[in-house]
Amino acid sequence: MNIRLKSALALTTALTVVSPAVAQDQSGWSLAEAAEPYAGTTVDVVFLLRPGYEAAKEMIPAFEEETGIEINITDLPYENALGEQVRDFVAQGDLDVALIDLVWIGNFAQNDWIVPMAAIEEQFPDIIDPDLDLDDFFPLVLDAFGSWDGTVYGLPFDNYSGLLFYNSCMLEEAGFDGPPETWEAVMDDYGPALTKDGKYAYALQSKRNETQSADSFARMIWPFGGSFLDAEFRSNLSSEESLAGLNFRQELMQYMPEGIVAYDHAEAVNALAQGDVAFITEWSSFYSTLADPDTSRIGECLAIAPEPAGPAGRKPALGGFSLAVAEQADDDEKAAAWLFIQWITSKENARQYLDLGGVPARQSVYEEEGIAESFPFVPALVESWQEGVPEFRPRFAEWPEISEVVQQYGTQMMLGEITVEEGAERIGTEMEAILDKAGYYDGDKPLIQ
Amino acid sequence: MAGSAVSRRTLWGFIGPAILVLAAVGIVPLVYAVYTSLHYFNLTNLKDQEFIWFANYAHVLTDDTFWAAMGRTFILLVTALPIQIALGLMIALLLHRPGLTFLKTITRLGLVLPMATTYAVVGLLGQVMFNIKYGVVNQMLGWVGIAPIDWIGDPDNAFVLVIFWDVWQWTPFCALILLAGLTTVPDEIEEAARLETKSWWTVLRHIQLPYLVPGLVAIMILRTADTLKLFDMVFTLTRGGPGNATEFISLLIQRTGFRSFDQGVASAQAVVLLAITVVLSQIYIRIFYREGP
Repeated sequence: MNIRLKSALALTTALTVVSPAVAQDQSGWSLAEAAEPYAGTTVDVVFLLRPGYEAAKEMIPAFEEETGIEINITDLPYENALGEQVRDFVAQGDLDVALIDLVWIGNFAQNDWIVPMAAIEEQFPDIIDPDLDLDDFFPLVLDAFGSWDGTVYGLPFDNYSGLLFYNSCMLEEAGFDGPPETWEAVMDDYGPALTKDGKYAYALQSKRNETQSADSFARMIWPFGGSFLDAEFRSNLSSEESLAGLNFRQELMQYMPEGIVAYDHAEAVNALAQGDVAFITEWSSFYSTLADPDTSRIGECLAIAPEPAGPAGRKPALGGFSLAVAEQADDDEKAAAWLFIQWITSKENARQYLDLGGVPARQSVYEEEGIAESFPFVPALVESWQEGVPEFRPRFAEWPEISEVVQQYGTQMMLGEITVEEGAERIGTEMEAILDKAGYYDGDKPLIQ
Repeated sequence: MAGSAVSRRTLWGFIGPAILVLAAVGIVPLVYAVYTSLHYFNLTNLKDQEFIWFANYAHVLTDDTFWAAMGRTFILLVTALPIQIALGLMIALLLHRPGLTFLKTITRLGLVLPMATTYAVVGLLGQVMFNIKYGVVNQMLGWVGIAPIDWIGDPDNAFVLVIFWDVWQWTPFCALILLAGLTTVPDEIEEAARLETKSWWTVLRHIQLPYLVPGLVAIMILRTADTLKLFDMVFTLTRGGPGNATEFISLLIQRTGFRSFDQGVASAQAVVLLAITVVLSQIYIRIFYREGP
């Protein structure tokens, strides 16, 4: 955690402990009273078509009833969510809450489309819940999903880590006691043993969209010690470590279903759910789909573990969304938006959110008795959030453009249209051109990712 | 004639709204696109917006990705369009034959269905029907002993799939336009020709085809413009992949403008595409109208 984030945490702690105004609120603060001046305000927010958002939708009527604030939700598929929000912010539209994928936060913050939490605290001290407790969020998650350049903007809302979902029955039949601990074991032992009779060991979703760049490409470079950029923001993709990861992915394709470059999340999850592959590495949020008998045939065979480790350790995919107040909102909307964000991500609501299919980033909820039995993904998730990489994908404004380049050449590599080395070189060249144009090499922009 | 003179006010009353709407939805955005194309204009970096003359055009015209996408678009055009015209003509000739009135009416109604299906829905249908494992197409192929084909994950197959869907959706359009053309051939000329020869080809070539030329030109202009703009179906079906096997020009422009957010370069790409479309339309009109009846 860097200094500014620490300062923000310290500020909040100070506000909650020392400030007389807040101290007074601590005994008497209530959501209903704090929201009273903003009753009747409508808060516009973008949601995705994913389980965490369905969970939130079930909870929202209670918030609306208690506060009189109306939450107006626009549902979008992930692929449209960035474009729609950028257009709304550029056009000074209606959105009052920004839904921020961790790779969009640099973009949103650098363009001043979102309000730092400290500014909300300063402008509306009465609406800050004394029990907000930022320290209760997993530090990695708050840092990666909600913070940019040390400043907290958003609170983690829909939180994922990459996990290994596996079919324990298939593994047992093949003579394995447990899931693969390392990628090396996947290649040497599990892959050959489980790829037979029309079944495959592993499906790595690699469709040409963010799935290719985040779930496939990035997932393979980090555990092997690679990265997108070096300390000077030059491409690190042609380094020995990055190439080792990308070549590993290429070699591992022999244990994946044909047409893996057309697999998105739905196809990968379905392949496991139908018993066609033995394991997948997917976001934690897909647990509810895989555990639901209506959408999965593997039933009791479903088991979950942290992603396998590479030579550089376990570097699981890290992804998720925070909610932040949009700068374009008027004062009442800003306050109402913050009240909503604070409420939906609160400690108090974390258990309900979890029960309904969401994945909160509150440490306290995972410490509750019996939680691991009710939610088998919890131990792996908590472990993954201890050692993830915040810059798993760089979070600066240029990532969407770089991601497009990675998607193109990453897929071409997998198809064998270009070699891994050639692809890494081309991505590196185009990535550096984008960063050069953005001013990173002239000193116009700080080297923050 | 004084009696038919219409006042200027009435004239403007009728055409004014049309001009205003055309200006609002066509001309103003076009002018704005040209303006944008002369600027560095990135939605994620609006603070650094600047006038850069023709740098975006220079970038586009020397960009391999742009020309590769353009090349793919033209390959799609020169493969799908002749198939659509040939199949459309066959259907039109069959429907033009006398008899079977009820069946022909049903067929004509059926022909409208593919055209009436939303492009994006066609792509989504394709995703489901051509899924390698669960798709109905591979299942049917399996009944006759053909191994599952990777339709969407293989670059060549994905391209063929796009051609297939485009042909499926737009052959009926060609058939209906050509059928309308065939009905304009005077009956006495056609009957006289059939007394002279039994060759359907001779009748088609020398009697019917001249009447079909205006329809063919319309088909070529409209389908060329449509193919150059083809977006929804491919976006929902393959999203331009795998690799960039189905990244046609409109997908590239959308990717540049709305996923990389570089509105300046995307606008330059769109203006270049517009210029190419206009030139192609002019070529069609000049070449084919010369041979008109």
